[in-house]
Amino acid sequence: MMPVVQCMGLTKTYGRKIALNQVNLNLERGRIIGLLGPNGSGKTTLIKIMNGLLKPTAGEVLINGHRPGVDTKLRISYLPERTYLQPGMKVLELVQYFQDFYPDFRVDRAYDMLARLQIPPQERLKNLSKGTKEKVQLIMVMSRDADLYILDEPIAGVDPAARDYILHTIVNNYNRCGSILLSTHLISDVENILDEVVFIKYGSIVLQAGAEQIRRNERKSVDRFFREVFAC
Amino acid sequence: MLGKLMKYEWKATWKLLLSANILTVAMTGLARCMMLLMEQTNYSEFTMVDFLAVMVLFTYVGSMFAVCVGTTIFLIYRFYTSTYGDQGYLLHTLPVDTHHIIIAKVLVSAAWVIINITFIYLSVIFLLASSSEIFHSMMEGMVDMIEYLGAEKISAFTVIMTLLAFLFSIFAKVLKMGACISLGQLSANHKLLLSFAWYIGIYFVEQLIQGLYLIMTLFIRNQVTQNTYWGYGSYFDNQWETTLLAGILSCVVYYMLTWYVMSRKLNLD
Repeated sequence: MMPVVQCMGLTKTYGRKIALNQVNLNLERGRIIGLLGPNGSGKTTLIKIMNGLLKPTAGEVLINGHRPGVDTKLRISYLPERTYLQPGMKVLELVQYFQDFYPDFRVDRAYDMLARLQIPPQERLKNLSKGTKEKVQLIMVMSRDADLYILDEPIAGVDPAARDYILHTIVNNYNRCGSILLSTHLISDVENILDEVVFIKYGSIVLQAGAEQIRRNERKSVDRFFREVFAC
Repeated sequence: MLGKLMKYEWKATWKLLLSANILTVAMTGLARCMMLLMEQTNYSEFTMVDFLAVMVLFTYVGSMFAVCVGTTIFLIYRFYTSTYGDQGYLLHTLPVDTHHIIIAKVLVSAAWVIINITFIYLSVIFLLASSSEIFHSMMEGMVDMIEYLGAEKISAFTVIMTLLAFLFSIFAKVLKMGACISLGQLSANHKLLLSFAWYIGIYFVEQLIQGLYLIMTLFIRNQVTQNTYWGYGSYFDNQWETTLLAGILSCVVYYMLTWYVMSRKLNLD
């Protein structure tokens, strides 16, 4: 079966600074993959290129065999590391917005998750706390039946209880035929849900392996192994 | 998808911009009341009512200016934040064509500019009509001007084409704003400053082309007619063609620049 993501010689430079250096990467379907690396390692750059928000300097990325475009945007559900919502919108208007643009959006799933978090649909986004806004954004993203969920730092900057909720929401709501690419540097929190990990350092992929394989071969947790690989 | 994009663009802008137009209506009503009051007072002395009326009229002019400038600033801000700011992360990950994104933004922005202009024109006419004296002299002045310019010879076709040329010039202005903001994104730093620099640069080039065109046209006309008088009617008959052509050309150039940056050079921070 064709990989959901194929990166071939992907390079991105900002002037003299190399953000991504000849990245070759294939991601298979039906897996939860951790894109792990310290701050500034190139995780967000790689993710933005996959979403068509950045253009690579060289190389190419294919999603379901297509270059980033309308076809790939139909199949990717993306959670950026920032709030991208219009503050004046009501939660229910946001649900309508996603329903209007994404054919795979499940309204009942969205309202179910909102109800469980006791987020009133009539509330305007600007009246919600930062943490609640992030949860609303996650609910919108996870209410789609996408082929690929790309979640950029979904648990950064939230308290441990919220992290549990976020991870629980991710694991229980994604399309089982699709894959999740989850970028983070907080390995211990996500280790248990990962099938596969990709280590990225200075814009280059240094390791791609199964999480269980690392634990078995290295006889240590992925978090412990990550700390050794990325030790300063 | 174009319809949906336009619907959400309209939803994101209508409250503030409609409020601005309501302000225009309210200020017009107030200014008209003051003018009527002024007409009833004694002309020989300056009373408190006159003072108030003058202040209201100043506020009226100020508010019309504020509505025009405010609308422009808001539309620029809206384009920037929704396209290249944080909201751009949502817009550019929607499964929609870049052409649709640009067309939706341009149509809604141009619609607001037209609504604003219409409100302000109607407001001024309504205000002047409050004084029968001013209104009559204004109408007489217009008739004199039409006769002087020989504009009674202008056909309905010319009027329609002139309006069309005006419409294209509005689209060109909106697209120029989008193109300048987009071109500013080509830099890694100081993107807004660069957008402003692009605007000044483009404005300079436009003025240069216009100046050269005017000189060339006058020169050719002089040569062809051997310095004989053409008359204003024929001048107006030909004027819309140039404006329409310039408007269409500007629209195409600015549209292509915006599309190129959005589809080929998008680099969201």
